[in-house]
Amino acid sequence: MLRPTLNELISGMQRTIMEALMPELTSPYAQGQAMSAIGMLTHAAAALESAPAYDAAEIKDLRATFAALKRLGDKHLPKKSGLRGVLARATRAGAKTPPDRSAMEAAMAAFATAVALGHIDESVARHVRGYIRRNLERSRQLLGGSLPSG
Amino acid sequence: MPHASEHQVKSLKRISGGSSRETYAFDLEWSEGGETRTRPLIGRRDPTGGLLKSDREREFNVIAAMHRAGLKVPEPLFLELDAGVMDRPFFIMHRAAGQTGMGAFPAAEADSTRTKVAGDFLSELARLQSLDYRECGLEILGAPKSLDDPARIQAAHWNEIYERDRLGEHYPILTAAFAWLKANPVVSDRIVIVHGDYRSGNYLYDENGIIAMLDWEMAHLGDPMEDLGWASMMFWGREEFAGGLMEREAFYKLYEQKTGHRVDRERLFFYQVLGNAKMAVICLTGIRDFVERRTSDAVMPFLELLLPALLGDLANQLRLV
Repeated sequence: MLRPTLNELISGMQRTIMEALMPELTSPYAQGQAMSAIGMLTHAAAALESAPAYDAAEIKDLRATFAALKRLGDKHLPKKSGLRGVLARATRAGAKTPPDRSAMEAAMAAFATAVALGHIDESVARHVRGYIRRNLERSRQLLGGSLPSG
Repeated sequence: MPHASEHQVKSLKRISGGSSRETYAFDLEWSEGGETRTRPLIGRRDPTGGLLKSDREREFNVIAAMHRAGLKVPEPLFLELDAGVMDRPFFIMHRAAGQTGMGAFPAAEADSTRTKVAGDFLSELARLQSLDYRECGLEILGAPKSLDDPARIQAAHWNEIYERDRLGEHYPILTAAFAWLKANPVVSDRIVIVHGDYRSGNYLYDENGIIAMLDWEMAHLGDPMEDLGWASMMFWGREEFAGGLMEREAFYKLYEQKTGHRVDRERLFFYQVLGNAKMAVICLTGIRDFVERRTSDAVMPFLELLLPALLGDLANQLRLV
């Protein structure tokens, strides 16, 4: 293994800012920025560790949600809404290697819009709401932090 | 300052806050009539990037109009649009005393201070909304042509910025929110001057109440429910306290007493949805400017951390969860 590791480097950068740079800074603004930079490094370290699992869970959930919508059948998606085509595109995007996450999220945006506007029936809306609830929970877990005071 | 000479800038320091501009505090010392005089000042210079793309001349003119009208604002003093003077346009205003916070009114403050600040907050809003923008010389803000314009204009404006600054990412909740706003526009009962960022965190205060309302760069003409909706968003004060100041229903009741106008719940809700979407878009703008190297402000990447709360509030409002 190469040393220092990425985490050791990040931790070292934080100590450099805190112990070598901060004592030399007299401006409160510069001190605030330095503290924010330390926070940014903490965030980066956490993201390096958690982001791959977050991304994998997102893709898995999007695929599962679109699969569930497909199982409901076309009769739940009004022809005029354009959502049948959206669902077909989302399914293809999820089957790609690697999956086209952006296309799947664009499709989910179309479904979320239909739910917000009351344009689809409850059996479809239930799946969309389920995904959004889980997505928000994952985002909170990934980004669970607070704004630095700088 | 035609009779002043020997100007000296002292104790210059950059300060945090007002993230849409670089903000500097300093003391100006000068000689006039044989005497040495000093005045505490604030300089606000255009940033290279940041949260908002706004016009400093417009902001200066709004603050000047508010000062003339007797609202609690810092006295605006000088506007310099020539970028050759200090790299970018800037303006200078009086530096008022007092403290401010980043968001909700600090929970640690005395109840007596909180009560005074809450009363002043709504009194100033009532005074702002009672002003005739024409008498204030603020037609420059662009008067809506009809009472159904404000909701449509604001929703379209922030949707356009969302499309511009989302860096190609899709945010299903935000996309749905803008579609909902477009499909459910409300009609105002009158056109008033809207501060555009009227909330806890944007005033200076002490134990006697509010000293000055700050950050007028998003001022425009629109629906009075816009500032009330923004000020009472869950985001600025979790739980039941609007902006950390006062229980939400009491806040609305006091607004009605101070303004003599009813709180229209349908319009209030529309502007709270718009407010959450707008704040999320402001975060995306800051992130984009950081990613595209227009700003090196270390606070910008942390704006991402605000998104789950804003999107969660939107999802609740639109019954997306």
